[in-house]
Amino acid sequence: MARAAAPRTFSDAKATYQTNSELAWWVFMRVSGFLLVFLTFGHLWANNMAFNAGEIDFDYVASRLAQPSVKVYDSFLLLFALLHGVNGLRYSIEDYIQRPQRRVAAKVALFTVAGIVFVLGVMALWTFSFTEMGDAVRALEP
Amino acid sequence: MYRGREGQWAFVLHRMSGVALALFLLLHVIDISLVMWGPDGPFNAFLAFYHQWPFRVGLIVVIAGVVYHALNGLRIIMMDFTEWGVRYQAALWYGVLGLTTLIGIPVLWKIVPEILGIA
Ligand code: HEM
Repeated sequence: MARAAAPRTFSDAKATYQTNSELAWWVFMRVSGFLLVFLTFGHLWANNMAFNAGEIDFDYVASRLAQPSVKVYDSFLLLFALLHGVNGLRYSIEDYIQRPQRRVAAKVALFTVAGIVFVLGVMALWTFSFTEMGDAVRALEP
Repeated sequence: MYRGREGQWAFVLHRMSGVALALFLLLHVIDISLVMWGPDGPFNAFLAFYHQWPFRVGLIVVIAGVVYHALNGLRIIMMDFTEWGVRYQAALWYGVLGLTTLIGIPVLWKIVPEILGIA
């Protein structure tokens, strides 16, 4: 079932996929992909065009993540980009890895890494006050 | 035939950029999450490493990949939901390449001088 000949229309997709969950993923890739056009372009604009990406450091990220709107924005970016990207990698694994055991191993590895990355991403966004942390550490210095 | 025509090149580029961006994303969230270790943690040293020019050129490739993948994704959505999109898919693909190049001009204009240190 090479996905190189991916189903082209919704009725095509309904005929191709045996399960409702594969059909749901087909729809999700299109909806999240559409949203990610705006989310990624805005993100790239903020960090590469409105700022010099060669000067990104702790203070810059702290100043960004101190803003609730950036936290919310980045949360949607994290959620949609990770689901969209990991599902895309799963399609590739299913296309290129034929041996069943290797296929399962690759997927287990992928989902494990993705789970860890998701937890790290959510923690970085929501569990610290980087401005206070920066000020506190700097206050320790003589 | 499909093989060797626009549709196949569009697919190959979409796959390659998609896989590369997904791997970039996994790494990117990990490196941003290093801020959790604070201003004296590993974050600044890590970022200083990434500010070397080969990685900055890499970021330009990431931006190009995002723009191509996004625009070609919109082309795929048009092909999925409209007759029109299927009929003009080859022309749309040249549109995707053209727009990607066009967006690339101001991006290079902004970033290349930064990398050369003449910004
Ligand atoms: C190529 C240049 C890029 C640069 C310089 C960059 C820079 C940054 C910076 C400085 C942050 C910290 C918070 C903020 O400022 O929003 C961040 C967070 C983030 N970026 Fe990017 N980014 C780039 C590309 C991307 C792309 C292409 C994606 C998605 C496909 C992405 C997804 C994310 C996500 C999900 C977060 C939140 C991470 C977390 O949960 O801690 N970035 N990025």
